[in-house]
Amino acid sequence: MVIDQERDCRRKHRRQRTLTVVGLTTAVALVGALAVFTGSVAAQDTGATPAQVVAAPALKIDTGDTAWVLMSTALVLAMTMPGLALFYGGLVRGKNILGTIMQSLAILCLVSLIWILVGYSLAFGPDKGGFIGGLDWIGLSGVGSEPHPVYGPTIPHQVFMLFQLMFAAITPALITGAVAERMKFSALLLFAALWSLLIYVPVAHWIWGGGWLGKMGALDFAGGAVVHISSGVSALVCAIVLGKRRGHGSDYMAPHNLPFTLLGTGLLWFGWFGFNAGSALGANGVAASAFLATHAAASMGALSWMAVEWAHRGKPTVLGVASGAVAGLATVTPASGYIGPFSAIIIGGFAGILCYFAVVWKGRMGYDDSLDVVGIHGVGGVFGILATGLFASKAINAAGADGLFFGNAGQFGIQAIMVCAVALFSLFGTWIILKVVQAAVGLRVTPEDESTGLDLSQHNERAYS
Amino acid sequence: MNRSVRIMTAMLPVLACAILAGTTGLYAQDAGAPAPAVTAPLGQEAAPAVVPPQPKIDTGDTTWLLVSTALVLAMTAPGLALFYGGMVRSKNALGTIMQSFIILCLISLQWVLWGYSLAFGPDKGHLIGGLEWFGLNGVGLEPNADYAATVPHQAFMIFQMMFAVITPALITGAFAERMKFSSFLIFTLLWATFIYDPLAHWVWAVGGWVRNLGALDFAGGTVVHISSGASALACAIVLRRRLGYGKEHMAPHNLPMTVLGASLLWFGWFGFNAGSAVASGALATSAFVVTNTAAATAALAWMVVEWLYRGKPTVLGAASGAVAGLVAITPASGFVGPMASIMIGLGAGVLCYVAVLWKSKLGYDDSLDVVGIHGVGGIWGALATGLFASKAVNAAGADGLFYGNPAQLGIQALAVLISVVFAFVGTFVILKLVDGLMGLRVSEEEERMGLDLSQHEERSYS
Repeated sequence: MVIDQERDCRRKHRRQRTLTVVGLTTAVALVGALAVFTGSVAAQDTGATPAQVVAAPALKIDTGDTAWVLMSTALVLAMTMPGLALFYGGLVRGKNILGTIMQSLAILCLVSLIWILVGYSLAFGPDKGGFIGGLDWIGLSGVGSEPHPVYGPTIPHQVFMLFQLMFAAITPALITGAVAERMKFSALLLFAALWSLLIYVPVAHWIWGGGWLGKMGALDFAGGAVVHISSGVSALVCAIVLGKRRGHGSDYMAPHNLPFTLLGTGLLWFGWFGFNAGSALGANGVAASAFLATHAAASMGALSWMAVEWAHRGKPTVLGVASGAVAGLATVTPASGYIGPFSAIIIGGFAGILCYFAVVWKGRMGYDDSLDVVGIHGVGGVFGILATGLFASKAINAAGADGLFFGNAGQFGIQAIMVCAVALFSLFGTWIILKVVQAAVGLRVTPEDESTGLDLSQHNERAYS
Repeated sequence: MNRSVRIMTAMLPVLACAILAGTTGLYAQDAGAPAPAVTAPLGQEAAPAVVPPQPKIDTGDTTWLLVSTALVLAMTAPGLALFYGGMVRSKNALGTIMQSFIILCLISLQWVLWGYSLAFGPDKGHLIGGLEWFGLNGVGLEPNADYAATVPHQAFMIFQMMFAVITPALITGAFAERMKFSSFLIFTLLWATFIYDPLAHWVWAVGGWVRNLGALDFAGGTVVHISSGASALACAIVLRRRLGYGKEHMAPHNLPMTVLGASLLWFGWFGFNAGSAVASGALATSAFVVTNTAAATAALAWMVVEWLYRGKPTVLGAASGAVAGLVAITPASGFVGPMASIMIGLGAGVLCYVAVLWKSKLGYDDSLDVVGIHGVGGIWGALATGLFASKAVNAAGADGLFYGNPAQLGIQALAVLISVVFAFVGTFVILKLVDGLMGLRVSEEEERMGLDLSQHEERSYS
């Protein structure tokens, strides 16, 4: 009887494994075929592009601006890998650290290819009805080294594309904090690919690619809605659909290596200068101002989290300061290019307090957002977008708009619409994608694999020997 | 009761910052910003009829300065945080890392609110900057020709902010594993305001009296390293030794972490030194080359001396040697050529090794060797600048003793003396003040428990 059960179990495992292998191979084959196809299209198209260049007024590449955006691209890369990977890796238990780091690494690679093949075209390609970009730039066809008049008129178009690629890569990686220690690796890959194409790409188009929110005048300098609200809301859905970790609330689940997390925090902070100040797409006054706003908000976010925690719990924790800094950074992101240093300090101060209470309340709500993506990126992102509608000032950035405090109440309404649209779209979209993935390959590892840990069960490795 | 009072005291700086931010916020925004909007360098050929030639922002220079700022940030957190964090016992790792992180946050706000104005604001009697730039009032996006003519003024301000941040963070190595977190916050805020800001004004600001003497300090040998080294000595003396010092095993708990930190320091130091050219060009390149050369030489020199003297070359020794070389080349980096940097690195590796050895004979507990590396290395670097500086490398500098100008060595020695005395005495007074107010050290019981649990209620490793 027992032997039968074991045999059944083994057979089931084998069947599942075969399915996974077939699924992954098909996916890779499809991507490969797409690559070849788009490559040939691109090859055909290169002949046609010069005509456009001749027609447009000659845009000149500025070496300083190009150096800054290239450098910023590398800084944002460092945010995902190794920044976020170590930030999350230190927060999980020792048996799951490799699995957690692997999620950021694999997403970086996967989304990079998707972005080059179709993602960039759908997000930033010629607008179709305000909702999505066209397929005209598929496989980077027509995305060459000459500048684009809107997307960075002084830098090569491919530099802008690459900078945006890093944003597309980090956003799904942020969500992995909500599914930590329990998601099947194959399911994660499938989820990340679908999420990136069906959620990130449309939202990026609406706000930055000439879509309906952008046309309405919505302000999101470096991705408060595109990156932080979308990932924060999706993280909430993931935490609910996947359910709690085994032993959540009863087992000891303290971070296994907080110095790693602090290293990750430092690298995130370092990289965030590229994220925000790089979004000026040039080395100019707006970049310097965004750099300062970013730093001021991060500092104040950390201090206000520390003060609230000290008063509320009796001790200022190191993890609290790290979380407060990230909360300040996430919150100031959409506002960074439109505000002065004092607005940034105020925004950072509120970010630390709001996100602290969001994280404390999580315990009462009962969902297992393991590494606090909802409390930090979701709440921080929503507050940041709304705060942009309050504090934005044309005196800082003439290309922006004035906020409520500078006499333009309408901007606040637009920002609120953006919050609702992005949150609802991410909420329902992520829910559907998760259900599809669940039906295709299943979402969670088996209870047995979960107690073994992701490192051994998913990757056959140990972090520390 | 007592505890809540202490918490309130510790939170004072935070509250003060928040209130100041609230009150000055919208005003400063209105006052500081309109100018840049008018002169926004977007490439248009708008030529307002102003008498002085319109300073123009150079994108290459701005890029380099912004990147350098990010690099110097990485020196403090995570660089220095991990460098120190790996050297303490594991029960104190988080407490040590926390000190660097929280200094980054605290001094950033101090600098924005009043620090930058005190250090670089309009000169008052050659001693201190005025409060005209309080809250960055008037520090906008147009360049300031006195300090950096081709980058937005705020870019120069935030680059200098990272220097103000790392300097007190360096001192934390001297009182590692035993200082109370709340007292540490107050000490840091006072130290930055009363020691760092005046010293930075004397040495770097237009009108500062040490600068007027003709003292050369390219990237902070006196302002950053001598000041933190001398203050570290005062801290080690006033706070006294750790419990069990000299009897218990106090070996570093995670040396790979320290080596990672040292590498991040080296990486970030390119921003520190080459960024101090505040432009991307020949001078930045020269500073970059000598920085790397000195660090490499000093690491090798320390290794060789240690190998000969102790029998084994240690990894901690090589890492310390590299940092010593970086410290020593800092004031000289914009004034000397590559061969001089080899001599400076060699001197740094040997001198700092000897200084660290002597520490145990003198009896004070400078736990992570701030005095031996930053103090001694900084003094050697400042004097070596007086020996090796050459106008052939930087026409805006001066010639040193070896280039026929012995007076420069005298000026450098005077600058060293001024910084050491000012920092040591000032720090001593501040420490006594904080000690009287709230005590400096954690209780014996808390010290045995470790800072992680006693100050922050957390563990590094679970």
